[in-house]
Amino acid sequence: MSDLSAAAAALGVPEPIVQRSAAARAAETGMTVDEILAAWAGGGSIEAPVPAAPSADVEAPVEEAAEEEPVTFAPSAVETPTGGPAKPGGLPAASPTAVTTTVSGKPPVLVGKADNPIAVLAGVLGLFLAVFLVGLVGPALPVDEPGARSSELPYTETAEHGRQVYQSVGCAACHTQMIRPVVADVGLGAVTLSDSNQVLGTRRFGPDLSDAGSRLSGTQLEAIVGGAGGHPALNLSADDLESLVAYLVESKAPVETPAGAAPEGGDG
Amino acid sequence: MFGAGAEEDRVAAAHFLAGALFLALAGALELLRLFALRFGDLSPVSYGRVESMSNIAMMLGFLVVSLTGGIYYVVPRLTGTRLWRRELASGGLVLVSGLVFVDLLAVLLGFGGGRQPFGLPWWLHIPMLAALAIPFLVTMMTIRNRTETRSFVTLWFVIGGVTWLPLLYLAHFAGDLPFLTSLTETYSDLFFSAGFVALWVFTIGSGLFYYTLVKELDVPLASRQLAVVGFWSLGFAAAWWGVAQLVFGPGPGWLDGVAAALGLAFPIAALANAANVSLTMQGHWEETAGKPGVLSGVIGLYLGVGVAILASFGSFPSIGAVTALTAYWEAIEYAALFGVGVLLTAGLTFEALPRVSGREMRTADRPRSFNRLTVIGVGGVSMSLIAAGLVSGYSWVAGSNSAAYVDVAEGWAAGAGAAEVWLLVAFGFGIVSFLGQLAYVATVVGTLFSGRAVPQEVLVYGTEPEEGEDE
Repeated sequence: MSDLSAAAAALGVPEPIVQRSAAARAAETGMTVDEILAAWAGGGSIEAPVPAAPSADVEAPVEEAAEEEPVTFAPSAVETPTGGPAKPGGLPAASPTAVTTTVSGKPPVLVGKADNPIAVLAGVLGLFLAVFLVGLVGPALPVDEPGARSSELPYTETAEHGRQVYQSVGCAACHTQMIRPVVADVGLGAVTLSDSNQVLGTRRFGPDLSDAGSRLSGTQLEAIVGGAGGHPALNLSADDLESLVAYLVESKAPVETPAGAAPEGGDG
Repeated sequence: MFGAGAEEDRVAAAHFLAGALFLALAGALELLRLFALRFGDLSPVSYGRVESMSNIAMMLGFLVVSLTGGIYYVVPRLTGTRLWRRELASGGLVLVSGLVFVDLLAVLLGFGGGRQPFGLPWWLHIPMLAALAIPFLVTMMTIRNRTETRSFVTLWFVIGGVTWLPLLYLAHFAGDLPFLTSLTETYSDLFFSAGFVALWVFTIGSGLFYYTLVKELDVPLASRQLAVVGFWSLGFAAAWWGVAQLVFGPGPGWLDGVAAALGLAFPIAALANAANVSLTMQGHWEETAGKPGVLSGVIGLYLGVGVAILASFGSFPSIGAVTALTAYWEAIEYAALFGVGVLLTAGLTFEALPRVSGREMRTADRPRSFNRLTVIGVGGVSMSLIAAGLVSGYSWVAGSNSAAYVDVAEGWAAGAGAAEVWLLVAFGFGIVSFLGQLAYVATVVGTLFSGRAVPQEVLVYGTEPEEGEDE
C-alpha cells in the first residue's frame, strides 16, 4: 500500500484530497509531499514554522462559573483551521512567547487554491450587470406602438395625492391594480398595459382595484375605507381620506368615444 | 460580555447579539402580520404597514446584521490579516441598527412610500445604502491586505454577498426615480426581494456554513467544484423568481419565458450546496447530535432546496397563471427568510459564539428546541400559505369560468372565504415558529451573558497594515 493510500485510509479522507492537502502542506513547510504523506500514514506529526502561541483547539482547565470573565487563551496564529499553515513573521500581539505549533497528523481541512479575489469580484460584478440588464432594464424599455391603447389614466391633482396615500397606507400589499390576460382575471376589465400609472401591486388578498371607480361610488368607497364590509378601518385624516377616495373613484377604464364626439358630461 | 479576544471578534459578537434582538422584534411583527392577514379588521396596524415593518426588522435588522457579524468573524480567519477599520465595522452596526428603528417609525407613522418590501420613503434609502456599503468596504479592504494567498470557498461567497447587497439596494432605490413607470417600479421591488434571498441570504448563509462545517467536523470540504456550481448558479438565479411573480402581467411576454428558464438556476444552486454538505458529512452524521449548530445549517440548506424548487416551479407560466398574486409567494418568502435565513444564521452563530466570546451555551436543549420549533413552525406556515394560494388561484379560475362570481366586489368573498381557513392555520403555526425564534434569541443572549467560560480563541495576525497603507 502506498503512503497516499495509507494516509487516506488512516484519515478517512479521499485520496485526491489527501494528495492536494499534502501538496499544499509541502509548499508551506518546505518538506516533500512524500514526507508529509509518510507522516500522515504513520500517524506522525509535522512541525509547522509558525511563530505562534498554542492553538485555540487545545483545551485548558477552566472553572465553570457563570460570573467569571471568559478565559482568554494565548493567541494562536492566523487561523487556518485544523493545522493549516500560518504565515511566518506574525506579530505576537498578546503573548511575547513564540511557540512552535505542533499540528496533528490530519491534513488542513480548509485547503484552497491560490486564486485572485479580484477576479471573483469582477465576475460577481459582471454577472450582476448581466442579470440587471436583462431582468430589470430590458422589461422597462418602452415599446411605442403608434395608435396602441394606453393604460395611463388622467388623474386629478387630488387623486395623485390619493395615490400617495394608497401607497403609504400599504393598500398594494393586499390589492392589485393589474388585470392580466388570464382566465382568473376574466371579467375584471381591460387588460393593464405597461404604461399604467396605477399602483400595480403583487398580491391580491383583496379585490383588484384597477377599475374600482366603475363599480363603486365615492360614498361606497369611503364607507369601505372606514371599515364597512369587513375591510379594516383606516384611520385617515379628512384630507387623506378625500384624496384616497378620489384616487379610487378616478380609477376606472377610460370611456372610449368615437373620434370627434364629445365625452359624456363634457363641455361640448 | 463580548469576551476578551481580538477586537474583530468582539465586533462579530456585537453583531450576533444585535441580530438576535432584531429577530425577536421581527418574529413578533411577523406574527402580527399573519394575524392581520386573517383578521385584518382586528389588527391595530394595517396589513400593508405591518408587512413592511416585519420585512425591515427581519431583512435589514436580523439577516443583514447577523450575517455581517458572521463575515467579520470568518474573513480575518481566512485571510490572515486583521479586519480593516474595526471601528468602521462597529459604526456600521450602530448605523444599520439606528436606521432600522427610524425606518420602522417612518412606516408606522405613515411617512412610508409604500414600495415593497420595506415601504420606505425615498430619502431613507440613502443612509441605508451607505450603511450597506460598509461591509463591502471592510471586507474587500481586509482581503486586499491578506497574507493567506489561498482562498477557501467561503471567501467567494463572502465577496459575492457583500458586493451584491449594496448593488441590489441601489437597483431598488433607483425604482424611485420619478420618470420610471409603475411597472419598472414593481419590477425593481421584486428584483430586490428575490435578489436579497438568493444573493444575500443563500449566498452568505451557504458560504459561512461551509466554513462552520469543516471547522466543526474537522473534515475537508467534499468538492470545490460543487461549491463553484453552487456559487455562480446563485448569481444567475437572483432576479428571475422575482420578476416571474408578475407572469402574464403588463411586462414583455419574452420575460416570462426567460424567467422560467433561468429560474432553474436557483434549485441547481441550492442542490449543489446541499449535496456538497451531504458529501462532506458522510460518516459524521452522528456528530450533529452534539453540534446543534451544524444541524441547523444542514436543515437550512435542505429547506433551501425546497424553497428554490417551489420558486422555480411557480415561475413557469402555466403554474403562474394560478399561483401568481396569491399567498403561494408569501409562503416562499416566509420559508426563505424565517426558515432558511434563520437556520443558516444559527448554523454559524451557535458554533461561532464560543470562539468569539469565550463562553459556550450551558445546555444544548435550547438550540435543539429552536431547530424543532422552527422546522415545525416554518413548515406549517409555508404549507398553509401554499394551500391558501392554491385555493385562491383555483377559485379565481373557476369563478371566471363558471361566471358564478368574479374576484371583485361581491364575488370576492366566495373565493377568499375558502382560503381563510388556511390563513388561520398559518397563524397557528406562526406561533410555533415565533417560539422557535425566541429559543434562538435565548440561546444567543444566554450564551453571551451567562454561558460557561471556555478557552477563547484569540487570533494573532501575520501583518498589521501600517497607518495609511490601506488608503
